[in-house]
Amino acid sequence: MKYIIIVKPKKTILDPQGKAIKKVAERYLQKEIGDIRVGKYFEIELEKEDDELIERLASKVLSNEIIEDFEVIKR
Amino acid sequence: MKVGIVQFLGTNCDRDCKFACDVLGLKSEFLWYESKDLKGCDVIVLPGGFSYGDYLRAGVLAKFSPIMESIREFAKRGGYVIGICNGFQILTESGLLKGTLLKNNNLRFVHKDVYVKVEKSKAFFTNGLEESVLKLPIAHADGNYYCSKEDFEYILDNEMVVLRYCNSKGEIEKDCNPNGSLDNIAGVCNEEGNVFGLMPHPERAVGDLGNDGESIWSRLL
Repeated sequence: MKYIIIVKPKKTILDPQGKAIKKVAERYLQKEIGDIRVGKYFEIELEKEDDELIERLASKVLSNEIIEDFEVIKR
Repeated sequence: MKVGIVQFLGTNCDRDCKFACDVLGLKSEFLWYESKDLKGCDVIVLPGGFSYGDYLRAGVLAKFSPIMESIREFAKRGGYVIGICNGFQILTESGLLKGTLLKNNNLRFVHKDVYVKVEKSKAFFTNGLEESVLKLPIAHADGNYYCSKEDFEYILDNEMVVLRYCNSKGEIEKDCNPNGSLDNIAGVCNEEGNVFGLMPHPERAVGDLGNDGESIWSRLL
């Protein structure tokens, strides 16, 4: 069983990394684009399905609820 | 008082803290992150550095070390804990202090001397220093203090803001903010005032390096 967890900065948080990347991306593309937000991606292998365990891991370790949201995808 | 200086993998200001203790004549001892033994210390220092290489988020992996279990208990019983730079990040991640530390808003590692104003707060470590202006070095990439609106009101109402970036006259101005921190905050404490976290390095401003750091350390004498 594979779980994918995506951690994203909350909308209310400024993301200076995203801003810097957007600037370079626009220079490279010679074209204006929308905002870029930088997050984190985790792949976790489990022998058996355990949504509760993954939820706990994502909320207490992989993300910080003050500044980040997360999304869990099951594969 | 006996000072316990915690060493995690990647801590690099442990010896600076020992140096500060030695200069001030404070007894100190190193504490290893994999042990739960606080060796009877009266004050715990979480020094600066890059515990666990700042992987995942600065301070978060250190939070799960055995020593942190003892430190949480120690703090709950009213024990004095000071977290400097990465130590501050560990304290916020551990929930011992409100808020968190984001990347500096200019994305740079900032390394320079700054002025901070000591606010009227409950912090034991700055008791008697209120209204003074200290010149202290900073060296960090993730020092941009942030907390929710509710927590911000809470820390203001409960006198938990300890230090703010300011100019040499003690005026709190935006230009003096080196990292974009909320309301120029450079250090906060908990409700009881026994846990204190700050981004500047008082251990690097003692003896021949300047006196301003000594005022904080000397509270432990």
